[in-house]
Amino acid sequence: MKILIIEDEQELANDMVKYLTNEQYLCECASDFHAAMEKVYGHDYDCILLDLMLPGGDGLTILEELKRLKKQDGVIIISAKNAIDDKVKGLKLGADDYLAKPFHQAELAARVESLIRRKQFDSNNLIVQNELSIDINAKAVTVNDQPLNLTKKEYNLLLFFIGNKNRVLSKGALAEHLSGDFADMFESHDFVYAHVKNLKRKLKEKDYGDYLKTIYGTGYKWER
Amino acid sequence: MSRLLNRPLKAFALYALIILVISIPVYVLVIDYIWTSELDENNWLTLQHTKQRLQSKQFTQAEIENINHIWGELQPGVSIIKVDRKISFKDSIYEAIRPNEFDEDDGEDRFRGLKTFVELNGEPYILTIETNVEESDETFAAVAGITLLFFIILFIGFILLNRRIATKTWQPFYATLRSLQSFELSKDSSVHLPSSDIQEFQELNQSLLHLIKSNVNDYQQQKSFTENASHELQTPIALLKSKMDLLIQQKDISPEISELLNSIEAPLSRLSRINKNLLLLVKVENYQYSDQEQLDVKEHLDSTISLFEDYLNEKQLQLSNQVKEAIVVNANSFLVETLIQNLLSNSIRHTSKGGQIAISSNGKSLIVMNTGKESLDQSRLFERFSNTTKGKVSSGLGLAIIREIANKYGWQVGYSFENGFHIFTVEF
Repeated sequence: MKILIIEDEQELANDMVKYLTNEQYLCECASDFHAAMEKVYGHDYDCILLDLMLPGGDGLTILEELKRLKKQDGVIIISAKNAIDDKVKGLKLGADDYLAKPFHQAELAARVESLIRRKQFDSNNLIVQNELSIDINAKAVTVNDQPLNLTKKEYNLLLFFIGNKNRVLSKGALAEHLSGDFADMFESHDFVYAHVKNLKRKLKEKDYGDYLKTIYGTGYKWER
Repeated sequence: MSRLLNRPLKAFALYALIILVISIPVYVLVIDYIWTSELDENNWLTLQHTKQRLQSKQFTQAEIENINHIWGELQPGVSIIKVDRKISFKDSIYEAIRPNEFDEDDGEDRFRGLKTFVELNGEPYILTIETNVEESDETFAAVAGITLLFFIILFIGFILLNRRIATKTWQPFYATLRSLQSFELSKDSSVHLPSSDIQEFQELNQSLLHLIKSNVNDYQQQKSFTENASHELQTPIALLKSKMDLLIQQKDISPEISELLNSIEAPLSRLSRINKNLLLLVKVENYQYSDQEQLDVKEHLDSTISLFEDYLNEKQLQLSNQVKEAIVVNANSFLVETLIQNLLSNSIRHTSKGGQIAISSNGKSLIVMNTGKESLDQSRLFERFSNTTKGKVSSGLGLAIIREIANKYGWQVGYSFENGFHIFTVEF
């Protein structure tokens, strides 16, 4: 699966490549408007991460061009502007998602995963992880064909973990995923423990393997 | 507080009154002096004339007595009376207050008389003549009355002149004042002050324009500094966050390092929040977020409460939301959401574990109360980085943002402390 990262801040682009690249994803970078346009014209990507402020042009123009060419590439806008206008404009122009800088790589990975999944499975959106299967459309989880009752937050956490397999997720990233942008308004994110603990307990009750590991001091990791 | 032009008006009126009051006795004395000296002269002339005629006619003593009788009957106060001894005295003037049958008011009149010595047929006689003089108190009353009348005319004149001066001469001053009153440093980049042909006003306007210009420049510079600084900080913060995410992926992290990494997260997220808030403040100040819509504050409130549920539970806070009816406002949806989130997160952060938060409304306002120990410093509470409380994660900008958003829409934000509750109110 191919991902195009259009980002003028080289360091940040490298970090994204490092974090996202795995056996599933292949990442390419474009650091200015023209390089990005060339790549967009020449190739198809499963997901394009688009920074709006680019040397040489406006990221929204690239988005318009994609739509004009009737390309199916999924687009996630990542903007430092954090302007609500950009968000609205971008989504109106056909972007699939919007992520404001600064963001956790884990959040980006989860968004990319979710976008690609949406693009791939139109009707039957099912994630299967060993004995676990998640029906995204019905928001139903089963373990060994037994239904697993999760709260909305536990369900969100589960998807977040699966979107970040084999990666350590910090408490902050989890809190931000659950509460959104304002998680940093609060000093303590201890509630994350409670939700993860409940999720672990429920999975264990259904005899699901101990894939969700606690990493001492830093956070959690879904090992597969 | 009195108006500028009323000050000299009062002074002028008072001065005029004092001068006019002093002038009353002066006038009375002068008039009285003129009166009496004229009358004395008149009496003397009449007397001389009478004396001469009497001496030239050679009247007998009986005739003289007859004359005295008839004369006295016709004109009271006039007499020619024989004296026994020949006494020589100078003409003497006297004054007498006597009843006057023709005076209908008080029956008493002032008379001015002149006595002289005359020799008729070798016999000495005293000739007396009297003329009625206006009494001093009557003169006084008349003068006082006229003076008062003139004072009133003068005073009315002052008021009318004052008004004329105010509207004409001071008009540029008042125009300048109005311009300054409507001037807002955060909104206007310049101010128009009317030109005037009066030197002082012109100088005043020029000084003001100079002052305003340099202030506006300073303000703009400060604002663009904040804006630029927070824009420049965005990338390093984003990089730090992203490097942290990569760093924790490293295998075999020792507990010490893991502890350190963990403790970097809190200051980093605070840094990120401060920067976000600074950018937001600049944007609100710069009149971005201009699109408005009719929206219900209650909806935003309900969704914010459910979003903050975890934080409420974590601190075991009791929240009672008594907002039952819609609070419809015309504003930007994002800003209303931001306002409510800041208001609520502020309460959650500053309520100690197990405390209470109560939210209520009276149709046009939102009241958020939370338990607290003591009143906060109201004067600086809504200032940026006022640090009234030593919150660990507080960006120091939450309340400043609330005030800035409220200012944008002309809403009133208030704080009070009653019965152990911090009470924040937003009047929409």
